[in-house]
Amino acid sequence: MIETDILVVGGGPAGISAALACGRNNIKTVLIEERDFLGGQLIKQTHRFFGSKEERAGSRGIRIAEDLMNEIKKNKNIDLYLDARALGYYEEEKIFTVLQNGRMLKFSPRKLIIATGAFEKSLSFENNDLPGIYGAGAVQTLMNIYGVKPAERVLMIGSGNIGLIVSYQLIQAGVQVVGVIEAAPEIGGYAVHASKIRRLGVPLYTSHTIKKAIGNEFVTGAEIIELDRNWNEIKGTEKKIDCDCICLSVGLSPLVDILSQSGCEMVYIPELGGEVPVRNENMQTSIDNIYVAGDLAGIEEATAAMLEGELAGLCAANTFINDVKQDERIEKIKNNLEVLRSGPKGSKIRSGLNKLIKGETFFQGGRNTGSEIEAFKKTGIPSGENLRSILPDEKRINETPFALIECFQEIPCDPCVNNCPFGAITEGTDINNLPKIDYSKCTGCGSCISRCPGLAIFLINKNYSENTSTVSMPYEMLPVPQKGEIVDVLDREGKKIVSGKVVKVLKNEKMDKTNVISVEIPKEFFNVARNIRLVK
Amino acid sequence: MMKEDNIIVCRCEDVTLKDIRELIKRGYTNIEEIKRITRCGMGPCQGKNCGQIILREISMITGIPVEKLTLQRYRPPFGGIKFSEVLGENNDEK
Ligand code: SF4
Ligand code: SF4
Repeated sequence: MIETDILVVGGGPAGISAALACGRNNIKTVLIEERDFLGGQLIKQTHRFFGSKEERAGSRGIRIAEDLMNEIKKNKNIDLYLDARALGYYEEEKIFTVLQNGRMLKFSPRKLIIATGAFEKSLSFENNDLPGIYGAGAVQTLMNIYGVKPAERVLMIGSGNIGLIVSYQLIQAGVQVVGVIEAAPEIGGYAVHASKIRRLGVPLYTSHTIKKAIGNEFVTGAEIIELDRNWNEIKGTEKKIDCDCICLSVGLSPLVDILSQSGCEMVYIPELGGEVPVRNENMQTSIDNIYVAGDLAGIEEATAAMLEGELAGLCAANTFINDVKQDERIEKIKNNLEVLRSGPKGSKIRSGLNKLIKGETFFQGGRNTGSEIEAFKKTGIPSGENLRSILPDEKRINETPFALIECFQEIPCDPCVNNCPFGAITEGTDINNLPKIDYSKCTGCGSCISRCPGLAIFLINKNYSENTSTVSMPYEMLPVPQKGEIVDVLDREGKKIVSGKVVKVLKNEKMDKTNVISVEIPKEFFNVARNIRLVK
Repeated sequence: MMKEDNIIVCRCEDVTLKDIRELIKRGYTNIEEIKRITRCGMGPCQGKNCGQIILREISMITGIPVEKLTLQRYRPPFGGIKFSEVLGENNDEK
C-alpha cells in the first residue's frame, strides 16, 4: 500500500497543473499517467495558444508542455508513475488500484484529483468502418508524435478548433485538405483559425454533413449533403469528394469512468460534452475527497484545463495547509477562468456550467453576442465592409508602413496588445474585445505579426516603390522562401492573384518558426494579397 | 435509402445501427439492456465510441431527452487486462 496526501490521475495539462500546485506547496503527491510520457494532448499542440499573457498566450502548446514536464520532474514532492493505468477506486476503503508493468499497485490517498480528459466522439454514417476513417486526435498523434504522414487527401468533418487546427497542421505536413465540412450554419471554432486554412485554399462547407464513405477496401471518397435550418438533409444536394482519409472531429466526450464507478453524482449536460460530474466551483465533486479538473469536468480549451488543474490542486491542498496566499491565488484563478469564459465564444460553456448544480449560478454575466459579422463566421473570410472598418485613413495608408489586424471575432486573446513595443494596440478592459490600433502610434515595426496566434496581422507598405507595395505576412510552412524568390501571391481564399517577389525574410529564434515574409506586388493588390505559395 | 446495416455503432463488437434501432423498437430502451443483448460497450473501448450514439438513438425513437435516460454504468477495471496480470504469473518469469 502506497500512502500519499494527493493522488492525481492523468498526466495531461490539467493533471500536471494539479500535481504542480500541490508539489509546490510541499504536499506529497503521486501523479499517474497511462502512457509512457506526460503531456496529454498538449504535446501535439504545435500552434500558439490564445488567452492572456499570464496563461502564456502566444506560446506554442508544445513549449508550455516542455516547461510543465520539466517542473514535474524536478519537484521532489511529486512521485511520477508512467505507464500506469487506473483500474478502480473503492471509496469505502479509500483505496485506488493501478496497473503498472503487469503489477497491481494499491494507493491510499487522502485526496484524489481526477483529470482523465476526454475521448473523441464518433459519428454514424454509411461505411463508417472503412479503413481510412480516423479521429482527428489520432491523425494528430500520427503526425506530431510519430512523424507519420497519415494520408494524401483528407476530408475533415467538423470545424471546431480541433478540426481547424488539425487541418492546418496536415497542410504543414504536406497533406492536401480537400475540405472541411460543418453541420452547423457557422464555423464551430475560432474564425481566425478558419481564415488561416481558407488562405491556404481549403473549401469550407457549413450546413453540410457526411452521408457516406465511398470505397471497397479503403476510403476513396465521401458523399456529403447540405442541411436545412432544421438539420434535415436537402435532397439533390449530394456531392462527391475524392479523398483517401476522412477525419472525424465532431467533438469530445468527458472520460468519466472512474468518477461514475466511484459513485460521484453525474449529470448529462450536452454543452459540456455529455456525462459530467456534479461539482462545486472549487472543483470538488459530490464525494468530498474527490476533485476534478480539465476536459472530464466539461470540454474546453487547454488553457482552461491548466487553470482548473491548479485550482483543483490548491483547493485539495487547502485542506492540509492554511496559507492565506493560496486563498488569494484561488480567487485569482477563478477570476481568470471567468474572464476566459465571458466572451461570446464562451456562451456554450457558461450555459453548461450553469446547469451543473441546481440553484447555483456559476455565471451571472458574460456576453452572448459580439460585434462580429455573420458572413465572417460562415466563411472565415472578412467581407469588404469588415475590411473597410479596420483600414486607416487614406493619408495614413500612404504615409509609412502600418499593421492591419484582421481579427473580427471576440475571443479571449491578447498577445497583440502585449507585444507591440509602442503600445499601439489596445483591447480595453475585457480581453475578449476586438483589438484596436492607434495608427498615430503604429511605427510599422512588424513585431506584432509573429506573436498573433491567429496569424491575423499583416504589415502593409503601400508605397514601397512607385508602382509596388509590399505585404508582410506570417508564414509557418516549409521550405521558407529565399529573398529574391518569385512566388505565387494568393488572396484570402488561397487563389492566385499575381506573381510577386520576396523582398525580405524575417526569421529568428524568438519568432519560434512563425517567419515573416515580405512580398512585393503591384499596388492594386495591397489589400488583397494575404498568402504566398512557393513555385516548384 | 440509408443502409443502416452498413453503419457501425460499436466497432469493438461489430454492432450496427440497424441492430440498435431494432432493439429499441422492440422495447429495449435502456442502454444497459442493449449492452447485455448486443455486447456493445463491452469491448476494449468500454463504450466510448457507441455510448453516446446509442443514447441519442434511444432518445430519438422514444422522444425522451438524453438528460432523462439511464446512463451507462462503469465498472473496474477500465479497459482490458490480461489473466497474467490478475494471477501475477508475469512476475515469476522475471
Ligand atoms: S507594427 Fe509595430 S508599432 Fe505597429 S502595431 Fe505592430 S508592433 Fe505595434
Ligand atoms: S489579433 Fe490579437 S486578439 Fe486577434 S488573434 Fe491576434 S493576438 Fe489574438
